[in-house]
Amino acid sequence: MLLYNFRIALLSLKRNRILSLVIIGGIALGIAVSTMFSTMRHAFAKDPIPSKSDVLHYVRMDSWDPMKPYPGDDPTQPPTQITYRDMVEIMKTDIPVRQSGTFKSNLLLFPDQNIGRPRKVIVRMVFSDFFPMFEIPFRYGSGWDKRADAGPEPVVVIDEETNDLLFGGQDSVGKTVRIEDREFKVVGVLDTWRPTVKFYDVTQNPNEPPEGIFMPFNFLRPMQLQTAGNSDGWKSPPLPGFEGRLVSETSWIQMWVELPGDRALPYKDFLAAYVGEQKKAGRFPRPLNNRVQPVMTYLKERKVVPDEITAMAVVSLLFLAVCALNLMGLLLAKFLARAPEIGVRRALGARRLDIFVQHIVECELVAIIGGTIGIAISLAGIAVLNNWVKTILNRPDIIQFDPQMLLLAVGLSLAAGLVAGAYPAWRVCHIAPAIHLKVQ
Amino acid sequence: MELGPIVRALRRNKTRFGLIALEIALTLAIVTNCVTMILEARTKMVKESGFDDSNIVSVRSTPFDPAFKEEGYRDNSLKQDLAALRGTPGVIAATNSGFLPWQGGGSSTEMRIAGTKGEMLRTQIYNADEGTFQALGVEMVEGTAFTAEQTDTDTLRLAALSASAREMGADGLPRDKFTQDVVISRAYGKLVFGEASPLGKLLEDSDRDMYRVVGTIEDFYNPYGWPIHEYVVFYANRRRSFEGGAPYLVRTEPGQAVVITKTIEDRLVAANAGRNLQMRTIDEIKAQFFGAQRITVRLMTGTVVLLVFVTSLGIVGLTSFSVTERTRQIGTRRALGARRADILRHFLLENWVVTTFGLVLGVGLAYALNMGLMSGAAATKLGWPMVVGGVTLLWCVGILATLAPAMRASRISPAIATRNV
Repeated sequence: MLLYNFRIALLSLKRNRILSLVIIGGIALGIAVSTMFSTMRHAFAKDPIPSKSDVLHYVRMDSWDPMKPYPGDDPTQPPTQITYRDMVEIMKTDIPVRQSGTFKSNLLLFPDQNIGRPRKVIVRMVFSDFFPMFEIPFRYGSGWDKRADAGPEPVVVIDEETNDLLFGGQDSVGKTVRIEDREFKVVGVLDTWRPTVKFYDVTQNPNEPPEGIFMPFNFLRPMQLQTAGNSDGWKSPPLPGFEGRLVSETSWIQMWVELPGDRALPYKDFLAAYVGEQKKAGRFPRPLNNRVQPVMTYLKERKVVPDEITAMAVVSLLFLAVCALNLMGLLLAKFLARAPEIGVRRALGARRLDIFVQHIVECELVAIIGGTIGIAISLAGIAVLNNWVKTILNRPDIIQFDPQMLLLAVGLSLAAGLVAGAYPAWRVCHIAPAIHLKVQ
Repeated sequence: MELGPIVRALRRNKTRFGLIALEIALTLAIVTNCVTMILEARTKMVKESGFDDSNIVSVRSTPFDPAFKEEGYRDNSLKQDLAALRGTPGVIAATNSGFLPWQGGGSSTEMRIAGTKGEMLRTQIYNADEGTFQALGVEMVEGTAFTAEQTDTDTLRLAALSASAREMGADGLPRDKFTQDVVISRAYGKLVFGEASPLGKLLEDSDRDMYRVVGTIEDFYNPYGWPIHEYVVFYANRRRSFEGGAPYLVRTEPGQAVVITKTIEDRLVAANAGRNLQMRTIDEIKAQFFGAQRITVRLMTGTVVLLVFVTSLGIVGLTSFSVTERTRQIGTRRALGARRADILRHFLLENWVVTTFGLVLGVGLAYALNMGLMSGAAATKLGWPMVVGGVTLLWCVGILATLAPAMRASRISPAIATRNV
């Protein structure tokens, strides 16, 4: 029976090709636009690390100026980063199962002379826990261990792109790389890893790709590294130069802790106690304002989804609504024009339900064809968009289409078909056969 | 006019025309809000920096040769670079400054009128030298720019100051204060000193170090993370370190920026090959700064165009149906003496009534959507000229979309009426 309805629907679509084209084209555009913009928003808003986002916590403490809050839209917010001296102290606890302070630095990389001239690259300084914490995928090798943290031992992890540049994409574990005036041994090469939001550090542009090289944090002192990220201060350092910055109130370090199960509360208590101690020593002049927040809470607070993207997603759903209204109007007109035929079918014994199903099948067929075309168009649209972002902002693969969005697109298509088709189908199955038979 | 019969006919087909009206209403709501967002983004993009943007090239020299670790070597190289840049034909001015227009940030500090307990007012702060204001192409409003001699003296003094720990007083602030000459933007002068001329007045920072205003520059606009886009303080200092390298801004003759880049690079490499050179025109930097907005504008524009297209298709489709459905009635009217123009007018008028009804509804929806977007996203307030524009546009679209089917209706021959369809 369904197959029969399906055949009628196809015939009906073929009968008036131009009209069918308009109907299908309209819904295809609706699905294309709404899928594309929803995917865009989803890429920014989705959980970047679903398996662990509720145990990974970002740590902030309010060590800012007693006279005024940390500048920004919201005066209740503590500084976005912490100071070096606080990082050193709070990393002495073993409450978190993993933890890492981190920052990025702009360093000189010396490739082999055949490859090219020395160049500045952004390097991320991390502790060994960083890689397992954020489940960063490795192609070759792995991260380093605690001993290399403490040394610090001259080891690095490089990403795919850097590995392509320096070693032609070969397994380079064990080879050496010269950074500034030191040689580092490659211990791991990352697999492709390009989260849309660089969730482990959103203090600057949250959409820049991850850094290409990862180095043990403790090279900070021996190499006298400067941060390439934000560095927010309100008080002159007590000492000049590099050492002065390490003991200053300037905040420039991002701090992450992994707190599974019931460890979050003890950690917050620990942090409050630490700040209390520091207050006695005359630091932390502002009221206690520690934030230990899971990934999604923190990302929402930092508003990593640009307002324009949300606005566009809303607009695109309204666009789909317009397309559905359009579809409804056209289907209604089309079905009502067919009233005489329906009269004949009803007179020959078709039930109302049969007529209703026949028309709903036709609507859904339209929706499915339109939806399929729409999904294809949205894929092309996303490819074009990625290309724009690549050329204009130099950021590859910012939007990735995922199965969730495919489901959404199919769901939207079927829903649009149903919403747009139900009323016309209902109207048409209530046609009284007698009138139309008379006219025939 | 046959408005009465038309409205009565519409009321018999409430659903169908209601749908079209609703579609037009939603279209108006979306189009007006999208265009508002597009215009808002465009306003930001055409905002003037106050500098000669299209003729400035940013040059960043980052050394890798360890010889640069020695301060004297760096100073020498800096002098050579500036000489090479200033000596290049087509170059109007060159400066060594950490300020980079349109990079979306920079460095900032807080100051207030010296000796007062007033609020500390945040401003951007950058180093400058004898060529900075010329290289940016900004005019001095009053006072004087820095000279080469002053830049050299101040550089030495600042270097000596940061070389050793400053002795702290009982208040936890450095005991010996210094006074530094600064050039500020007019907007910052106004913020701190009001309408009075800031010339010769003193500012202080959180360490109570003093800054004497020796000059004011005209419009300065550099978008910053905090709302201090128009505030700046320039102090004389040469900026060159091994880690950070030396940043330059080069202003060229009009239209030469792109052409001259290669020449500059060659000259600088010839002067010293122990470093990397990154050359970017300010136009490139600006294009990248507004990249996200440009993409937003493109996407929004595309959406608006597609939406109007879909809506007009809907109108065409439904009018066509009306025409087909009423073929016999049209034939009858024609047979009874209606002219083609009458039929055409009938359909246009009918559509106009539906469109207008939709637009009335749409104005309400547009404001509702605007409020919704404003609470969530940072959309701007919908202005009435935008709504009037949207209404006019959709009126035109409605008429154009009806025209083809209505023309077809007007060509229906009176003979149809007598035929049995």
